[in-house]
Amino acid sequence: MTSPSASSRKALSKIASNRLQKELVEWQVNPPTGFKHKVTDNLQRWVIEVNGAPGTLYAGETYQLQVDFPEHYPMEAPQVIFIPPAPLHPHIYSNGHICLDILYDSWSPAMTVSSVCISILSMLSSSTEKQRPADNDRYVKNCRNGRSPKETRWWFHDDKV
Amino acid sequence: MTFFLTTLATVRTVYRVVEVCCTDSDSFVFLAVADYFQNFDTSRQTNMDVSMEFAEQNRCLELAKSSAYYRRIYSEVEEVGWEHLLKLQEDLTFLSFRLMDKKGREHVLEITLDKTYPKCPPLVSADVPYNFNLEWSTDSKLRDVVRQFQEHMDKLQDFWYTLDDIDRSLWVTDPKQPHHAISYRQINIGNDCYIMLFISASDPQALPECRFMGSDKKVNLLKETWRRRCKHWMKDKPFPENLASVLDIQLPQPQHVQKNEEQIECGICYAQNLPIDDELGMKSGSGTDYKCENANCNRAFHSVCLGDWLRSITTTRQSFGVLFGNCPYCSDPVAIKVSLEAKC
Repeated sequence: MTSPSASSRKALSKIASNRLQKELVEWQVNPPTGFKHKVTDNLQRWVIEVNGAPGTLYAGETYQLQVDFPEHYPMEAPQVIFIPPAPLHPHIYSNGHICLDILYDSWSPAMTVSSVCISILSMLSSSTEKQRPADNDRYVKNCRNGRSPKETRWWFHDDKV
Repeated sequence: MTFFLTTLATVRTVYRVVEVCCTDSDSFVFLAVADYFQNFDTSRQTNMDVSMEFAEQNRCLELAKSSAYYRRIYSEVEEVGWEHLLKLQEDLTFLSFRLMDKKGREHVLEITLDKTYPKCPPLVSADVPYNFNLEWSTDSKLRDVVRQFQEHMDKLQDFWYTLDDIDRSLWVTDPKQPHHAISYRQINIGNDCYIMLFISASDPQALPECRFMGSDKKVNLLKETWRRRCKHWMKDKPFPENLASVLDIQLPQPQHVQKNEEQIECGICYAQNLPIDDELGMKSGSGTDYKCENANCNRAFHSVCLGDWLRSITTTRQSFGVLFGNCPYCSDPVAIKVSLEAKC
């Protein structure tokens, strides 16, 4: 269920796997606070444990992020979703999809898995109430066939949370 | 826009000609034979003939003027030495020289000229913490600009010496790519604290202005120490030694290894060399060959990687085989030649 597009994905290009290896080494030397990379031998899919930051609504809670890399990473953004159960947040759908511009239109190769993780944690930390997006049910129903969040046309309208 | 007004008298007529010169397109448009006084016959035909003849005359005048301008610039560049010339714009209104100071540091002097040069003094900019006042008269030449810049550099030797000393012996975290105009340094002083130092260009060995960064508790302690011990700052001691003695701590060493790597790795694929791959044609296995021109960014890229990225986003424009977009790091404009050989 959580790996809809895994079988149809193309293997990483030379450039992509080279860059990911370097990112992984950098992560191991200098991991972002609050995150733990679950060691696997799959470079193309990272599973990362997120700990809610102390003093925020998500303190003491643990979630899992799944990061899938496209063949031409970093020319294309990685696909980042929460493995359900996803945190209750106005920009996170119950199927784990995250409405965050840098994962889609605003991605740039200057970003890294680590910087994306920090953005997601900061999005969680600045939330003032635990609730689902208003259109959660409709959106999740539309994604039932295992659609990737990267195929969604996102509207980024809220810059507060 | 500049307007010139010339008055010309011919035998029969007095024409007032307004010549409009567009500085941005360097084309000369002449507008109007605006106003004339005639004593004799005024057939339309004659008027047109005269004005066309006049246009022709003026074009020749213009060409003569610009060729004199070109000759002057070439001979003045010659005096400075072609080996110093770094850039020369096609219409010769912008040029830059690469010059060495006494200690062999490289500097780039950029000069913008007006078409009325040398009547109008050139505009000068360089990688210095503050600019010098150009002394200019109509018989001054480019070599006088260079000489005055060299004198200015001599005055700044102590300043650069101090900064080099800091860069050599302390852990500088910002600027990542220091250049000669930047007069601040952010230094990691250990214990998760940083100090931002502002070095005075005129008195670099003096107690600098500073700001501390870190947790409130630690910063307050540091400020207290600084206030108490700043009288221990001695102008004749090396800067790093002074800093350590005022802060009363051992300062961490610089992190050389990391710095070197950053300069040559591509900001997109993170590798120094592209993979060996037939698809890349001539570029297969080559190193980074493009640098962001923003001096504060200076990120290196493989033009192949940057080109691939620019092609993958919709905001990039392409014109005559050049891709125009923005640096993924600093968003400043970048332009990449589309390499044909990579595609064949």
